[in-house]
Amino acid sequence: MGKWFDRASPTYRCVIDPTHQISSLFGWVSVPSAVWIDEEGRIVRSNEGTYPAPMTIGFGLGKVRVGDHAFARATRDWIERGAESEHVWSRSELAERLKPVDDDTRLAEATFRLALHFEAVGDSERAWRHFTATQQLAPDNWNYLRQGWTHKGTIYASLKVLARTSYLRKNTDTSYYDPMGLPGENNRRYIEPDWLWTPAVRRIKQLLRR
Amino acid sequence: MIILANGKTNQVARRTDSDGALWVRMDELPNATGWQMKPEGACLGDLCVPLPANKREEWIADADDWVWFCYSEFADMMGQKYVRDGDVWSLGPVPAVRSVGLESAIAPDFEVTERNGDTLRLSDLRGRKVVLFTWSSW
Repeated sequence: MGKWFDRASPTYRCVIDPTHQISSLFGWVSVPSAVWIDEEGRIVRSNEGTYPAPMTIGFGLGKVRVGDHAFARATRDWIERGAESEHVWSRSELAERLKPVDDDTRLAEATFRLALHFEAVGDSERAWRHFTATQQLAPDNWNYLRQGWTHKGTIYASLKVLARTSYLRKNTDTSYYDPMGLPGENNRRYIEPDWLWTPAVRRIKQLLRR
Repeated sequence: MIILANGKTNQVARRTDSDGALWVRMDELPNATGWQMKPEGACLGDLCVPLPANKREEWIADADDWVWFCYSEFADMMGQKYVRDGDVWSLGPVPAVRSVGLESAIAPDFEVTERNGDTLRLSDLRGRKVVLFTWSSW
């Protein structure tokens, strides 16, 4: 990952957080996620699914289209107008969104760190056992799911992501990302390969449903 | 013995008669867990928790020529979750610390290493707007 930073030569500060310490602190369960922090160190907004622009990820049949301009637009507005920005959360919104986490979530965090430790020292069997336990404790945390599945390889992880999103799309009302609540955001419920959205494939799916 | 806490891996001494509990040598307590013992109690940053009077003798004990603190009992009292596999203990977040942040909406502080090797603390950026953005390569 570091080599990508170096090649991109970003003008902002970059860190690598191998244990997902930052995500845990802010209660994020997926990427991309982002928080705005004001000059006094207060959280004024925190969201997931914060793509900075429309973009494609992957290639070939695995290419997916994600994101929109909503988060970047709102961020610019907050930087210019500060507390006057309409996108800053009120105290009641903050209280509603920044809830304490439950026992299972906190135990999942400890178990996840244990899995990462055994992965780092090459004890794959114990790492996998603790990744699995983490996923059972926090089944809605995509960071834990994807990091755990990646222990078995990126192809395995990609297939698991596809299988789980497909299951959730068919059987629940949830979305991959919680909607940000920003004007103009892309509300597609799940990220799917781009080819699934071509007119020909959509037509075939309609015919199969009959 | 290894303690995983606050994003760090800490190699610490093991009490020979630990009997299944997590005993941490008092001099290793701050590095290993973030807590340090002060006259007012166990302290983590600005948060200080008095030790229950009836537990002091039970939780602070001499062994192997050192003074030890029974961290697992203290963690149970604080509602801090932990998990153990063999000689490795992993500590979850301290609920009291998180709840302080929730009440004030002050962003929780953290320390990470930048690509150039410098240490970045979130609190060092006070006085400026911060957009903190996470991504992953998976």
